[in-house]
Amino acid sequence: MSDDFDRLRRLRPDRLQPHDPMDPKVLTEEKERLMSAIEQSAGAVHATSRTPSIYPRLAYRDVMAALEFLTRAFGFRERREARLEHPAGTLAWLEVGDGVVMIGESGPDHHDLYSPAEVGRTTGMVNVYVHDVDAHHARAVAEGARVVMGLEDMFWGDRRYEALDPEGHRWHFGERLADIELRSGRRR
Amino acid sequence: MEPSSDSEIIERSLAEPAAFASLYDRHAAVVYRFLVRRIGPSAADGLLGETFRIAFERRASFDREHESARPWLYGIASRVLAHHRRSEARRLRATAALAASRETPLDLPQRTAASLDARELWPRVADAIAGLPAGERDALLLHVWEDLPYEEIAAALGIPIGTVRSRLNRARRRLRELTAPSGEETLTPSAARRGKIES
Repeated sequence: MSDDFDRLRRLRPDRLQPHDPMDPKVLTEEKERLMSAIEQSAGAVHATSRTPSIYPRLAYRDVMAALEFLTRAFGFRERREARLEHPAGTLAWLEVGDGVVMIGESGPDHHDLYSPAEVGRTTGMVNVYVHDVDAHHARAVAEGARVVMGLEDMFWGDRRYEALDPEGHRWHFGERLADIELRSGRRR
Repeated sequence: MEPSSDSEIIERSLAEPAAFASLYDRHAAVVYRFLVRRIGPSAADGLLGETFRIAFERRASFDREHESARPWLYGIASRVLAHHRRSEARRLRATAALAASRETPLDLPQRTAASLDARELWPRVADAIAGLPAGERDALLLHVWEDLPYEEIAAALGIPIGTVRSRLNRARRRLRELTAPSGEETLTPSAARRGKIES
């Protein structure tokens, strides 16, 4: 009975070629490819989840300038198809990962919301998880964002920095330290 | 980081896709060796990535009752291999040629005039495996080359344990028929199958 399977066992290729090369580079390279595919597909999945439960609206004096800055410096994607260019004021939707932020004109006709540039104080902060916070920080600095708290590993498990946009809205960008470890293959 | 089960990693990766990396770290070498055994090193390189990409896409459907993801990954790799039957048949034949060249008459002590000599036997075994229906070949090779227990083969292929047993029995019977020392007629189905694989 087992004779048939014994033959088969002897035909197992690595029994015949124990030195059949097992190239460790293959495992590393395939991992890199896999992880970049995962990042892309994660982005794609998020892009299709169109309606997050919470989406803040921020007020700007100059919505178009804000739009330009937020996409260039912070890497947000605008939902171009959603933009409303109304004579009374432009409304735009920006997304990052699975989150969405609305931006619109400030003033009494616009929900009585004001820009920090008008009131002289900031009354909120938008927290954003990003992929590769170090690269995000470098880009924001290069594009002229005002960093008000530098990059730092925090005790609650995030690495984060905080920056102001041109009108003074405060943004908090972070990444889970565990994700950074996974990404870089480091172990604590 | 504290060790977590595969099932916990997969669950975490639903919200944090990057967490899937540790599943790769745990199982990529085993899956890669399996693929190399089945279709050889160069073809296996690409299929390793394909297997894990499919696993990532389907991670929500992983049965989290299972602690280990290994049988599940074996199952995905087996389905990926189903599209590469020709490479697999070629690999089997090359391996059989190697086996035949290594085997000296001394390795076959009860050799009789009627028994096949190694040069005939090994190619027949190879063709017999290559000619099995995919489901039987998958079950068979998970059993004899990967040493998976029946319940893991069942989990891998998504079939009941009884079906694993019957597939292995059928495969055993076919192998015995197709590699029988006597009976020229048994060569005919084998040759027919070989033709089909190569078409």
